[in-house]
Amino acid sequence: MSGSRRFFRPGILFPLFLVLLTVIYTAAAFDIRTQFTGDGEVSPRTVPLLAAACMYFTLLIVIFQEMRHPHEEDEPESGLLRPLLVIAATAAYIVMFRPVGYSLSTLLFVMVLFRIFEFNTRKPLIFILQAVIVTAIFYGLFAGIFGVRLPALIGDVI
Amino acid sequence: MEMFLTLSGGFAALADWKVLAFMISGFLIGTFFGAMPGLTSVLAIALLLPITYTIDVVPALVMCASIFMAGMYAGSITATTINIPGAPSSMMTAIEGNKLMKKGFGANALGHAALGSMIGGSIGAVLLMAFMPLAAELSLLIRTPGKFSLVLFALVVIVIVDKQNIPKGLAATCLGIMLATVGIDVLQPIPRFNFGTETLVEGIDIMPLVIGAFAVSEVLIQAQNWNSSLEQNLAQVKDVKIRRRDFMPPLSEIREIGLFAYIRSALIGYGIGILPGAGGSMAAFVSYAVARSGSKKAKEYGKGSREGIAAAETANNSMCGGAFVPMLMFGIPGDPTTAIVLGVLVINGLQPGPRLLENQADLLAPMLASLFISALVLIPLTLYLLGPYFVRIVSIPKGLLYSSIAVVALVGSYVATYSTFQMFLALIFGVLAFVMRKQNYSTVSLLLGFILGPDLEQYLRRSLSLNDGNPMVFLTNLDSLFFLGLTVFAIYMILFRKSKALPAPS
Repeated sequence: MSGSRRFFRPGILFPLFLVLLTVIYTAAAFDIRTQFTGDGEVSPRTVPLLAAACMYFTLLIVIFQEMRHPHEEDEPESGLLRPLLVIAATAAYIVMFRPVGYSLSTLLFVMVLFRIFEFNTRKPLIFILQAVIVTAIFYGLFAGIFGVRLPALIGDVI
Repeated sequence: MEMFLTLSGGFAALADWKVLAFMISGFLIGTFFGAMPGLTSVLAIALLLPITYTIDVVPALVMCASIFMAGMYAGSITATTINIPGAPSSMMTAIEGNKLMKKGFGANALGHAALGSMIGGSIGAVLLMAFMPLAAELSLLIRTPGKFSLVLFALVVIVIVDKQNIPKGLAATCLGIMLATVGIDVLQPIPRFNFGTETLVEGIDIMPLVIGAFAVSEVLIQAQNWNSSLEQNLAQVKDVKIRRRDFMPPLSEIREIGLFAYIRSALIGYGIGILPGAGGSMAAFVSYAVARSGSKKAKEYGKGSREGIAAAETANNSMCGGAFVPMLMFGIPGDPTTAIVLGVLVINGLQPGPRLLENQADLLAPMLASLFISALVLIPLTLYLLGPYFVRIVSIPKGLLYSSIAVVALVGSYVATYSTFQMFLALIFGVLAFVMRKQNYSTVSLLLGFILGPDLEQYLRRSLSLNDGNPMVFLTNLDSLFFLGLTVFAIYMILFRKSKALPAPS
């Protein structure tokens, strides 16, 4: 394994990301101001700092282990395309959910997911029909059975 | 006597058509999720969690219990028919069941799995009901330092139980504890880690974490592992023919396995269920290993042993009863499913502990009854009625399935607070859990760290505050000393004692 690949792989990058999160967390922990202190009183920042210290120690071991025994089977980048598409579609769905309403946003979301999972993509009519059915079924479940008020663009349903 | 009356009331509550409908639909959902490879009962209950905001606590808990029992049993269906365990706890069943399937005894193997599940699940539920009052009284004796040591014991066991990945398990647990510290402090009215935003002052809700860690991450994992040719292969499985009459195992085979073997496996499963973090896979594995080591037909193991199926399935269903004990008594979940059930209790304003049994046992009794009825009645009934169609479950198009899961998960996140912020949190935790799972960090440790973190902090600070900051209180207090000793014992048994049996299940 070449030098750059040895370091720039998920096995190392993920614990480094967690280290970064823990650094931000530690800095915020030092900003916690206690309201009252008595004899033997443990400050509200103590446990977060202990957890952060434990995290640093553990991540150090994880990174050390990863460096000594790198996993050769790290996923190729092409394998991440579908999950990335699902993440993008989900983020777009959440952004659209309130302004566009449940029905339209869910219909589009389901159609995109069908496309990603290659479900009935060669039969356009069935593809659309099944997306409509899925959207309608879950509308019925949440709004009909459980009485949840879902956002709508026009009226109460659409 | 009072407890007996309360439990009777629990069974009576199931006669209400609404509660009964929730139990049966929960059982069918659990069977579906348990049987479908890749889906688990944990995911089913995670998806149900937001719905508990809109229904009463009794049907919600009844439904959770039946999903739990069904999910644990249904893993054996695809394990036997297509050699893909529907749930991790059915790994040992796959080894034996599929061999029988190939020999033409698939229905017989499914029958033995159902019988074992029925006996194990029923014994586990009975033990849970029988010992609950005693456990409640014992738990009243534990004082604050003891509670701290007990939570510490639970967290240590959760981390070391996967001994190949202890540093990663510890990192996941610490991350869970850190996430739990966001929001108002456990003892003082001051916000922590809200980074100047109002939204984080209330803290992070369990729901987006559960939905993200178990539902969104599953959709992402499936998207990455997507293989349309595999789906076509699974679609051909529906041609396998299974007849109803073959499900009933002959009495001679049941006698050969023996009542003692069933009871021993049920006790092993129940005992392992009480251990935090151990779960159904561990129960099935240990019971299978014990049965094999003491069997007169040890040579049959690995080649289609009915005894092996009975041992594994009895234990993993009996585990369901055991896992409820620490959760109901101390708020310490025995496995991820009970961790989410704990979320259901908390969402409904119920605080686990001996007082819950004392004051609100009427709310819990239907759940315990549901656990028992699901095992004793619904498992054999479902097998008889739906058994021939079970194998077709795997032929459901995955694109349709995962798209539906994504919609339920995200809309469910919205339902809790009518806020898209919760949906975003579910997505963020889903991405985090996806990376964690790909890198072998346990998401169960993350969840249990999140749930137990506030208790750990609260009991630590209370104990020290009451004793002038002297940490010796944890060694001078007998109950605390007991749990610290138990922690050391668990570390020795799990990490240092050489196992004579099979290697640990992954």
